[in-house]
Amino acid sequence: MAPTTEPILEVSGLVKHYPLTRGVLFKKQIGAVKAVDGVDFTLHRGETLGIVGESGCGKSTVAKLLCSLERPTAGSIRFKGEDITGLSGRALKAVRRNIQMVFQDPYTSLNPRMTVGDIVGEPYDIHPEAAPKGERRRRVQELLDVVGLDPDYVNRYPHQFSGGQRQRIGIARGLALRPEVIVADEPVSALDVSVQAQVINLLDRLQSEFDLSYVFIAHDLSIVRHISDRVGVMYLGRIVEIGRDAEIYDHPTHPYTQALLSAVPVPDPEARAQRERIILTGDVPSPTAIPSGCRFRTRCWKAQRRCAQEVPALAVPEAFRGTAGPAAHASACHFAQEAAPVPPAPPGERRLNGNGPG
Amino acid sequence: MRDQPQQPEGAIAGTGMGGAMDLGASEAVTLERTPGGPAGTGPAGRPRSLWSDAWRDLRRNPVFLLSALVILFLVFISLWPSAIASGSPLTCDLAKAQDGAAPGAPFGYDGQGCNVYTRTVYGARASVTVGLCATLGVALLGSVLGGLAGYFGGVWDSVLSRVTDIFFAIPVVLGGLVLLSVVTSNTVWPVVGFMVLLGWPQISRIARGAVITAKQNDYVQAARALGASDSRILLRHIAPNAVAPVIVVATIALGTYIALEATLSYLGVGLKPPSVSWGIDISAASPYIRNAPHALLWPAGALALTVLAFIMLGDAVRDALDPKLR
Amino acid sequence: MLLDVRDLHVEFRTRDGVAHAVNGVNFAVDAGETLAVLGESGSGKSVTAQAVMGILDVPPGRITAGRILFRGQDLLKLREQERRRVRGAGIAMIFQDALSALNPVLSVGDQLGEMFVVHRGMSRKDARARAVDLMDRVRIPAAAQRVRDYPHQFSGGMRQRIMIAMALSLEPALIIADEPTTALDVTVQAQVMELLAELQREYRMGLILITHDLGVVADVADRIAVMYAGKIVESAPVRDLYKAPAHPYTRGLLDSVPRLDRKGQELYAIKGLPPNLMRVPPGCSFHPRCPMAQDVCRTDEPPLYPVSDGRGSACHFWRECLHGPDH
Repeated sequence: MAPTTEPILEVSGLVKHYPLTRGVLFKKQIGAVKAVDGVDFTLHRGETLGIVGESGCGKSTVAKLLCSLERPTAGSIRFKGEDITGLSGRALKAVRRNIQMVFQDPYTSLNPRMTVGDIVGEPYDIHPEAAPKGERRRRVQELLDVVGLDPDYVNRYPHQFSGGQRQRIGIARGLALRPEVIVADEPVSALDVSVQAQVINLLDRLQSEFDLSYVFIAHDLSIVRHISDRVGVMYLGRIVEIGRDAEIYDHPTHPYTQALLSAVPVPDPEARAQRERIILTGDVPSPTAIPSGCRFRTRCWKAQRRCAQEVPALAVPEAFRGTAGPAAHASACHFAQEAAPVPPAPPGERRLNGNGPG
Repeated sequence: MRDQPQQPEGAIAGTGMGGAMDLGASEAVTLERTPGGPAGTGPAGRPRSLWSDAWRDLRRNPVFLLSALVILFLVFISLWPSAIASGSPLTCDLAKAQDGAAPGAPFGYDGQGCNVYTRTVYGARASVTVGLCATLGVALLGSVLGGLAGYFGGVWDSVLSRVTDIFFAIPVVLGGLVLLSVVTSNTVWPVVGFMVLLGWPQISRIARGAVITAKQNDYVQAARALGASDSRILLRHIAPNAVAPVIVVATIALGTYIALEATLSYLGVGLKPPSVSWGIDISAASPYIRNAPHALLWPAGALALTVLAFIMLGDAVRDALDPKLR
Repeated sequence: MLLDVRDLHVEFRTRDGVAHAVNGVNFAVDAGETLAVLGESGSGKSVTAQAVMGILDVPPGRITAGRILFRGQDLLKLREQERRRVRGAGIAMIFQDALSALNPVLSVGDQLGEMFVVHRGMSRKDARARAVDLMDRVRIPAAAQRVRDYPHQFSGGMRQRIMIAMALSLEPALIIADEPTTALDVTVQAQVMELLAELQREYRMGLILITHDLGVVADVADRIAVMYAGKIVESAPVRDLYKAPAHPYTRGLLDSVPRLDRKGQELYAIKGLPPNLMRVPPGCSFHPRCPMAQDVCRTDEPPLYPVSDGRGSACHFWRECLHGPDH
């Protein structure tokens, strides 16, 4: 699906700094954790935007900012043109109906002391205008059915379900208010491989059924590729490269993306010999002390003096400007170069179709 | 596309397996569909909630029923002691001092020749009132202050933490001697007030910790993302998940308060004779423990039974509020 | 054969009944070889590792049958004291969560050195020198200075290196790595796996890699044993298995993983859930989820059929599974 539809979410200059303080009663700021440090992207209607990055890159903070769970330090988030970052009270509550979240951990995201019916029905208690009182129970059962659970389970408690089933309950809760945007923060990383596929397929199906737009946040590059139309790669609070999935995966131009992709193990022993690994040295710098210039330069094998002085902008690199090829997408690197760290898949794809997708 | 139950009458693999991480504990699931079973309400019967389920659970719990019965009985004799004991607890006959059981005095007589049975029955009022009111006051004040501080954090949290530190530094008995010695009223209320004043920091600290733990769960974030108000989050999501440690500590503290009332009375700053309380009797009987142990054992036994009943009740309520234990 | 596990059974007695965590597992590892034990949660892979290592929680766990032959000696027949000697010097283990596996109040130098003090009776000073040497070998920069640091001062990847150093300290013949890189980021994961493989070659150790990640297995393993509900359902050289799996569970797993190098349509999803270990289905334990299941699967438990040299599959229909996607 090409992102030709109108934008539903426009994020620009998004910043979230957490102050570091010292002192018992009278706190003095001694620094800041720059969790998100200038993020821009646009989400189009019906599209899935994947955001990948390693732990600590700020991707989960972006999710919280999008769902107004945190207030940004600076920047704006426009939902259908309206900036939602300054909203409060009734206006904020109204916006929340349209942007919902699916959480990572199916064990802590459901209140253990509420029944499934209460959990999925809670959105209607908070937004009584969304469903008339007499109809709520039926709606809850419909939702359970939609996510593939038995509607008779309304009186059960979360601990009676497996991780995958709990994640379905969380998705049903997210869908209750018929939101237009769903922000999914690592929705399958806590699940087993065989259950992961079930949930990914469910999210896929719901997207077309409910006309949803997804922001899909994950550290697993393979899953992000599978589900996303466009992908943004985050490093230390910023998006360093963003583009259509094939542009990012087959024609990455940012060295970090290239290293990240080359490090992902591919379930194919034949590829072992063919692949050239870029092993990054060192660790991600602390978000309290972000390097000057390009924030990736401390681990980059291409880094030169310019990288320490000049912050690279997230734009189509000069070398590819004017070309129409897949390498012409936004990449925040002074020395952007195309590379193919993932060897193309061998032909003759083997798929088991005995039973259809579960 | 539907997750069908794997086991017709399945049960979740033991959560009590501790270190055995790789067992299907997390993935197996209880999905029994036997109609009419303890949790089986047939297909989507009446909607249920934590409280209604907890109440159903409690009604079948013998521990709860027994402890509730004991507590009801205690409340009854506190209100109408004359219903089961004739005579006045203040009528004493020194000639019968330290005598054993006799008709009309099944528990014998104490060092002053007072009827131990009558005094134990009449003593319930003061002791149960002190214990219950002090516990309720402490639990309410402590969990509200601690809970709000834990939930909202910020400056008030810091202030409250320092204030509780100060209160922890006050020695209870010494504080009682100083504060209660200026009080002239010979009712239980100054004693209750003193206990609440010194007791709430303990509960406040526990409630604060429990709220902070509960607050960090994703379901709280999920409720906020839905637009839930602070009061809704506190009452529906945090309170039920943070109440267990408060119940446990409060029910244990109840016994301490009854005993503390005894200590204060012994020191002469709590209730003073002619008031009757278990505490007064226990301290009065302790010098004669060798000659007349019964004068000590009966009020002490009543105290122990009361404390036990409240602890068991607290335990049963806490378990009933945890769906995992059903 | 360095390690030979035969017919291992482990069960856990719990409040709710007996969980059969491991039900007759056989495998062997040679010096210099990497065996991957692959499985989802509840498959019994970690319990198997704990049984071999001798760190099973007993009770509730109990080894009910089987032999664990290490260099020909049955470890289960040893007394605890002798067993302890094998642990560390003979077989060492690397855990998933390095932060909780390291003691937060001791410096890493002290923890690394302790092995030499306890097992080799070295002096504190010599042990400290050996600790620095080990940290060098797992490529921790500025080891001599960092030896006094505490675990929390290291990053996740560095902590995992310290765990590896600790496992290597007595030069064991066999290392069991239980999800060694699961908690790490991909770029760090690659560094750690590379290091592990290099050290294994250098010392010619046997390596048992317990994991759920099909990608990691493809990267480093020589042979693979796929576990399901406490049994090995397929065992094969890695290349053969990925080319053509001979068990429907393996095949389902391979097909349900999204791939970095291709964008699929809909993922294949194995239906249902892994079984409850208190009530493992009769016959083939995979039959309720299997697209190929026939009547025989519901009643007869399949043995590990020999598929080819060094390869086995516990499926009545391994031939059909092996040949062609249509069935």
